[in-house]
Amino acid sequence: MIDGELAVETRGLRKSFRTLRGRRVGVENLDLRVPVGGVHGFLGPNGSGKTTTIRMLLGLARPDRGTATIFGHEVPRHLPDVVGRVGAIVESPRFFPAFTGRSNLRLLADAIGTPRDRVDAVLEEVGLSGRAGDPYRTYSLGMKQRLAIGATLLKDPDLLIFDEPTNGLDPAGIHEIRRTMRDLADRGRTVLVSSHILAEVQQVADSVSIVARGRLIAEGRVADLVAGQAGQAVRVGLASDEVAVAASVLGARGLSVERDGAALVVEGAGAAAVNRMLGEQGVWARELAPRQVDLESVFLGLTQTETAGESV
Amino acid sequence: MRLVGVELRRLWMRRVTWGGLLLALVVAGLAVVTQIGAAQPPSAQEIAQAERYYAEQAEWWQENGEQETASCREAQAAEPGADYGCDRLEPQLEQFLPSSSTFVWHETSGSSATGGLTGTETAAAALSAEVAAVQESLWSGWSSLSSAARSAAPAFLMLAFVVGVSFVTAEQRTGALGLWLTFEPRRSRVYGSKAAAAALGTAPLVLGGWLATVGGLYALHAAVGTVGTVSGDDWAQIAAFSGRLLLAGALCAAAGVALGVLLRHAASAIGGAALLLWASAGFAFTLGTAQRWLPVLNLDAWLRDGAIYQYPARAADPSGEASVPWLTGVVGGAHGGLYWLAVVAVLTLVAGAVFCRRDLD
Ligand SMILES: Nc1ncnc2c1ncn2[C@@H]1O[C@H](COP(=O)(O)OP(=O)(O)O)[C@@H](O)[C@H]1O
Ligand SMILES: [Mg+2]
Repeated sequence: MIDGELAVETRGLRKSFRTLRGRRVGVENLDLRVPVGGVHGFLGPNGSGKTTTIRMLLGLARPDRGTATIFGHEVPRHLPDVVGRVGAIVESPRFFPAFTGRSNLRLLADAIGTPRDRVDAVLEEVGLSGRAGDPYRTYSLGMKQRLAIGATLLKDPDLLIFDEPTNGLDPAGIHEIRRTMRDLADRGRTVLVSSHILAEVQQVADSVSIVARGRLIAEGRVADLVAGQAGQAVRVGLASDEVAVAASVLGARGLSVERDGAALVVEGAGAAAVNRMLGEQGVWARELAPRQVDLESVFLGLTQTETAGESV
Repeated sequence: MRLVGVELRRLWMRRVTWGGLLLALVVAGLAVVTQIGAAQPPSAQEIAQAERYYAEQAEWWQENGEQETASCREAQAAEPGADYGCDRLEPQLEQFLPSSSTFVWHETSGSSATGGLTGTETAAAALSAEVAAVQESLWSGWSSLSSAARSAAPAFLMLAFVVGVSFVTAEQRTGALGLWLTFEPRRSRVYGSKAAAAALGTAPLVLGGWLATVGGLYALHAAVGTVGTVSGDDWAQIAAFSGRLLLAGALCAAAGVALGVLLRHAASAIGGAALLLWASAGFAFTLGTAQRWLPVLNLDAWLRDGAIYQYPARAADPSGEASVPWLTGVVGGAHGGLYWLAVVAVLTLVAGAVFCRRDLD
C-alpha cells in the first residue's frame, strides 16, 4: 500500500521492558513505512508503542531485535550520518527549565555548529521572539511546544518527527500545529506525526500507519483506507411495504442485510450493484446512500477488534 | 572540542555553579575568620605575666637544675634506647608565652612539635624518615595555612564534586538530555564532553576559593603582625599545593559526573559520597594497614604530599592487660595521586559505558 522512496522503514522491530511483573512488550514485530514527502500519521491508542518506536528511531532506546532505517541509513548504528536531517519532539518538549528559550536554542545550535543568527530567525518563525528572553519554565504549554518545533527547525531537517504534538493544547494551538505540519510537508519535508486521536491527524495526513499493542494493523493512504471501508455498506431507503421483499432479494444474493425502519443497511456490495439487483426484481429504491465512513470508524473498528482478539 | 565548549558555557549558565563559587568564597571567609583569635600576638599584659612566671622558674632552675638533669639521666640510663630529653629541661621564655599561630609553620629542630606521637611508647622507635618528612611538612604543623589546608581545601573539592553531580543529574531529570542526544547522538562524545567540562569548568571555583583563603589569611597575619617568616621555598610549596588542589578538583568533578550518571539522582550520588566520608572518618582504624586504600586518606596524601594514619598493633600478648600500642603508617603523595587517578578513570569508564547503552526517555 505504501511504496516508493521511504523516509523511515522498520522491519521486525521489537522492544520489551523489564518490569516488576515480568517483561512488557512495547513494540512487537513492527514494520513501519513512511513515504518521503507529505504528512504521515502514526496512529494508535495510548500505550500502543508509538513513543517507544520513535525513541528507537532516534537512538534513545535500543531495539531487542529488528532493523530501522532513516533515509536508507541504518539506525542507530549510522544515526550520526543522518541525525542532521531529522528534527524530533518526543512526548513533551524538554528543555533546561531555568535557561531562557533563546539560551536553550543557542546551546543546541552551538552543539551542531549552526550559526547563532539562525536561532533568532527560528524564534521569529515560531512566534517566540517576544518571550525568548524569559526562562523556559515560565512558558505556557503552547509556547513550550513552539520552542520545541523551533529547536527541530535549527537543523533545517528533511524529516520531522512529532510525538503527540497537540497533547494538552487548546483548539487554537492544535490548529496552529496542524498548519505548521502542513506547511512543512508542502515545502517538501516529510512529517511523521503520532497521535492517539484520529481526528487530529485525519485532516492533515496524506498517509497513515495504525498500530495497536505494538503491532501494525493497517497502513496506507488516508483516502484508500476510508474508501476501502466506505464501499462496503449502503443504506437503502424504501417504501415501507417493500422493505421485506427487498431484504429477501438482497439476502438471496448473499449480502448481509440489516433492517433500520423503512431502510436497509446492506453490506457486501456497492450502491450501483444493490440498485441493479433490486431493479431486476421490480423493487425501486427511493434513496441510496453509501454509508459515511470516516477514518475514525476505521480506526476504532481496527483497534477494537485487535484489542478484543488479544483479550481472548 | 566544540561540545566541550558548549558544555562549559552551560556549566557556567547554571545557578548551582555560581552558587558553588559563592559558597567557596564563604568557606574562604570562614577559614579566615576562625583564625582571627589564634593569629593575635600576645598582649603586653600576657607578656608581662609570662615574663614573671619565667623569672620564677629560672630562679628555681638556678638552684635545682643540675640535680634535675642528673636524676633525669639516671632514669634514662635505666631504660636503654629511651630519650627523656634531659638536655632540654631548662625553662625557656617561649614556653610561657601564649602561643599564636603563624601564617606558615616551620619545624624548629628539637621542639616538641612531634611530641604527640613520640610520646606513645612504640611509635617513637617506629618513626621512619617518611613519617618524619610528613610531620615536618608545611602542611602538618600548627599554622593558619595548614589548618586551612585541612578544613577549607576539602570543602572546595566537595563543592566541585556536587557541581559535577548536579551538572548531569539535572538534565537527566528534566529530560533535556534526550533532546540533546537528538542533536548529538554519539554518546561517548557526549559523555566525554560533560566530564571534561565539569573537570575544567570547576577550576575557578576550587582555585578561587583556595586563593581567597590564602590571601585572606596572609592579610590577617599581616594586619596583626604575626606573619612570621615566609621563605621563597614556602611560597613554592603553597604553589605546589594549589596545583595539586586544582588537579584534585578536576578529579572530584569528574567523579561527580560519573556518579551522577550511574546513580541518576543527585541525592543518591551526594548521599553515597557523604556516607563514604562518614564511614572512613569513623571506622578507618579498624581496617589496620588497609586504611591506605581509603579515598579520603589518599586525597589528603595527594594534597599534602603525604599523610599518616594510625592503627592499633595486633597485641602480641592476648591477655589484653597491656594497652595496645598504636602504630603509624604513611601514604605517599604519589600513591594518593595515582590512587585517585585510577579510581576516577575506572568510574569514568564504567559510567561512560553505562551512558552509551542506557535507554533514555
Ligand atoms: N520505560 C518503560 N518501562 C516499562 N514499560 C514501558 C516503558 N516505556 C514504555 N513502556 C510500555 O510500553 C508500551 C508502549 O508505550 P508507549 O510507546 O509510550 O506508547 P504510546 O506512545 O503509543 O502511548 C506501554 O505498555 C508502556 O507501558
Ligand atoms: Mg506516547
